[in-house]
Amino acid sequence: MISVTPTSSQAEVLDLENLTAEQTALEIRNLNLHYGEAQALYDISMNIPKNRVTAFIGPSGCGKSTLLRCINRMNDLVEIARTSGEIRLHEKNIYDKDVDAAALRRRIGMVFQRPNPFPKSIYENVVYGMRLQGVNDRRTLDEVVERSLKGAALWEEVKDRLNASAFGLSGGQQQRLVIARAIAIEPEVLLLDEPTSALDPISTLTIEELITELKSKYTVVIVTHNMQQAARVSDQTAFMYMGKLIEYADTNTLFTTPEKKQTEDYITGRYG
Amino acid sequence: MDKLNMSRHISGKFNEELEAVRNQVLNMGGLVEQQLRDSLYAIEKSDHELAEKILQRDFNINAMEVQIDEACVQIIAKRQPAASDLRLVIAIFKTISDLERIGDEAERIARVALESFNNDQQQFLVSLENLGQQVLSMLHNVLDAFARMDLDSAYEVHQMDAQADRQYEALTRQLMTYMMEDPRGIPKVMNVLWSARSLERIGDRCQNIAEYIIFFVKGKDVRHVSAESMERTVKGPGVGKK
Repeated sequence: MISVTPTSSQAEVLDLENLTAEQTALEIRNLNLHYGEAQALYDISMNIPKNRVTAFIGPSGCGKSTLLRCINRMNDLVEIARTSGEIRLHEKNIYDKDVDAAALRRRIGMVFQRPNPFPKSIYENVVYGMRLQGVNDRRTLDEVVERSLKGAALWEEVKDRLNASAFGLSGGQQQRLVIARAIAIEPEVLLLDEPTSALDPISTLTIEELITELKSKYTVVIVTHNMQQAARVSDQTAFMYMGKLIEYADTNTLFTTPEKKQTEDYITGRYG
Repeated sequence: MDKLNMSRHISGKFNEELEAVRNQVLNMGGLVEQQLRDSLYAIEKSDHELAEKILQRDFNINAMEVQIDEACVQIIAKRQPAASDLRLVIAIFKTISDLERIGDEAERIARVALESFNNDQQQFLVSLENLGQQVLSMLHNVLDAFARMDLDSAYEVHQMDAQADRQYEALTRQLMTYMMEDPRGIPKVMNVLWSARSLERIGDRCQNIAEYIIFFVKGKDVRHVSAESMERTVKGPGVGKK
């Protein structure tokens, strides 16, 4: 057999059900979530591999954003939400009583659909998290700003106006600034909730390019309504429907030969 | 048709586009089949007039290939098909390129029909006719399988090729013996040999199309794999069905 070198960024195929400890970033086990009476997630179990991009896709209301928000306990902020099951980060359940949610969110950062920079300068936006942690040394902060903005592919565009207001940036630049802010505190996992749905096609491509670069340092989990985007940026894709995980596989497989009929119908745009 | 679930796209326009391109492939297949059937008939009856017609009609087949290619490119550009839709477009792409080549082979056979053969040489035309009928039924069946995306018939066609290959070898041996016995007849016999070769190639191309059908239905590439592995794929579980 002649082996053909895999093209571009598509990584080798992992056995998602049997990842080694080294390959694993997060393990989700029998996760259920209720909003009051209504159940939003049903018994979700999956492994999210390290230094890879995992995409959640599915129709509106299928629970993909809810699942993403569970990963850094954003649902704690919703009073009527009740969670059962486990999400393990380094074999430690993040829902254990002794886990501090704020500390957890430093390790698992999140970026939302609409860019949400603070009404401050570009510089202050990036170092916000550091300052919260009590770091105020100018030299350290300068380094963080440069590293983070470079990491978010924004440095070249803003290096001469770091003290200008973040609101002066375009939508795409603001979104990259928010990503820079998220990676400034060096999280392990980056959660992206439809990061490009408010952006134009060119900014979208810039962010997608960025996501591919980010995975060398971080584990990325992305929720997207744009199936082609999931196909382009992710290494593995999970298809969810009505709160259930229907199929979770290597992205190349899922988009060419899905196993389940529901997945097939969704990605080919057929009536379910 | 139900098997393809073509009509269930949310976008009705997409349904129409896929349906249209699929129909064009079936039309093209019909035309190619006609060409092959006619070229066999032209040889058998030494019908020069029909042979000339076949040569002219090959242009239509080439034009259809270009047209379908273009339609596929547009579907890919505008619809970004995935899963079974993507596999259908890819299968169509490859199928029409094989169909076009089958058309070329039929044209080559028609050229031989323009020759005249003596009584001695006529016997080879009978053997050629037998091989021709075998290959013609392969083409007919594979087009039929394509129309219904029928896995079992595609697999059957794939298996039929072995027999065509055996017939081809037997005919080759027969022709070589004759050439040794009567070197003066070599130019004529060579023409018969080329036609036999064309028919054998058509059989291979039908086999290719059968492989594309299996690829569409099962999502697995069965080119260049062992017979066992192919059988496992055909009998194995399908994709996108559970």
